[in-house]
Amino acid sequence: MAITEKLSQEFELGFTYTRSTGPVVGRFLTGLRDSRVLGIRGSDGRVLVPPPEYDPATAAALSDWVEVGQEGTVVSWCWVSEPRASHPLQQPFAWVMVRLDGADVPMIHCLQASSAEAVSTGGRVRVAWVAEPRGHITDIRCFVPVPGGAS
Amino acid sequence: MAEWAAVVGIGQTRYKTRRSDVSIAGLLREAVDRALADAGVGFDDIDAVVIGKAPDMFEGVVMPESYLADALGASGKPMLRVHTAGSVGGSTAIVAASHVQSGTFKRVLTVTYEKQSESNAMWALSTPQPFSVHLNAGAGGYFAPIIREYIRRTNAPEGVGIRVAVKDRRHGARNPLAHLQLPDITEQEVRDSMMLWDPLRFLEACPSSDGACAMVIAAADSISGNKPPAWIRGVAMRSEPTMYAGRDEVSPQAGRDCAADVYAQAGVMDPRRDFDCAEVYVPFSWYEPMWLENLGFAPPGEGWKLTLDGATSLDDGGDIPWNCSGGVLSSNPIGASGMIRFAEAARQVRGDAGAHQVENARLALGHAYGGGAQFFSMWVVGAHKN
Repeated sequence: MAITEKLSQEFELGFTYTRSTGPVVGRFLTGLRDSRVLGIRGSDGRVLVPPPEYDPATAAALSDWVEVGQEGTVVSWCWVSEPRASHPLQQPFAWVMVRLDGADVPMIHCLQASSAEAVSTGGRVRVAWVAEPRGHITDIRCFVPVPGGAS
Repeated sequence: MAEWAAVVGIGQTRYKTRRSDVSIAGLLREAVDRALADAGVGFDDIDAVVIGKAPDMFEGVVMPESYLADALGASGKPMLRVHTAGSVGGSTAIVAASHVQSGTFKRVLTVTYEKQSESNAMWALSTPQPFSVHLNAGAGGYFAPIIREYIRRTNAPEGVGIRVAVKDRRHGARNPLAHLQLPDITEQEVRDSMMLWDPLRFLEACPSSDGACAMVIAAADSISGNKPPAWIRGVAMRSEPTMYAGRDEVSPQAGRDCAADVYAQAGVMDPRRDFDCAEVYVPFSWYEPMWLENLGFAPPGEGWKLTLDGATSLDDGGDIPWNCSGGVLSSNPIGASGMIRFAEAARQVRGDAGAHQVENARLALGHAYGGGAQFFSMWVVGAHKN
């Protein structure tokens, strides 16, 4: 008897969806559209950016909004020497954890810098906005070093 | 069953076409906050969280339990996701009940949901696969031939489905949470609505709803809240294959076995006589007479007679009202629909069902099915332990 061929075939599935952001994430994104960064105060008093809808520890619904600064401090970073096409910047850059002034937790974003030597933990950076914000996390095009900022 | 467990808190959202004002997490929290308030407890009093929903592909959120952990107060607690297609609301409640019945947990929060307005339920249920003809177009297309076979076998008259469609919408008009509010619906209106999947017309099919349903299930020594508990007298689940040609899809063996199991646990000898009411998963009108037979409320071939006699109608003073809340035909947030059946059965025996309350309800059946009528989950709840 002939050996049976084991058939296989690739296929794709695709669907259209909607997503509603709700009152907290929605307001954060609307803030970005207005070139403002909004955080929210958690149950333990810490200011969380980006804001979660519910407190990570107590599950309380959060609503105490705090606008935070557009400058911050690098908490941690990682240099990308060979960016790929899908990276947000096409020149060598750093992934950074930035704690914005007035916030108690860092957020992750990208930092445009001339070289790895220009990046340091404790360094000062600020938001660089896109030309036309639309209410998306990428409205923050990237962070850039603050000239003369302590590092 | 090792320990007694009871429903001490129930919370539901109002079921609606579209809840674009809230995130998925926010939708769940409405139901959860109401269930906790109903039970008179807070997140600190909850020992474990059990969440269920229909397939991830519906909303396209993969592993939603991951993103929902903080919204559901699961930090520092066990959290479990349950998934058995359309029956998931029922099986999620049973898993939560089992957590308590095992003696391991005192109070368990359980919640199910669907946000159909942001999902793609029809095609997510009917994905084309290689080497196969694409036969299905949503649940109605799958079930219509099975209904036609039921009609052929039983010689049921043509208007039975229409009767169910009207009956459940009139029930739903008593329930302020129900999605469809059609107090004046007529049989003619149903008859005139578009034929979608012969013999199912548009008004014989369930709506697409956004909504969530939550419950707090507690051990006998941890009963709380101001309302009487609904004691869980029995729970059962059964499964069978979808595409096996040799099975009886009109009256699946798994449904019959599941009912026999849960009735034995609860001491139910004659379901029509022993239950005061039932909340049964009827997403398409004809499934009422079909499940009346599958669940033993009527002999084989005679389920449709109960429907036509008004036995299942609250408005007609029937002896065994089915789906007093309006049922799946009035509200269908898919992942939650089974839990709504379980919760509404519990509301009845707690005497807390408002305008759709069955007078002096003491024993009620909650039922859900899912997949290609292959997953069954049922519970019996009572005002008393026996």
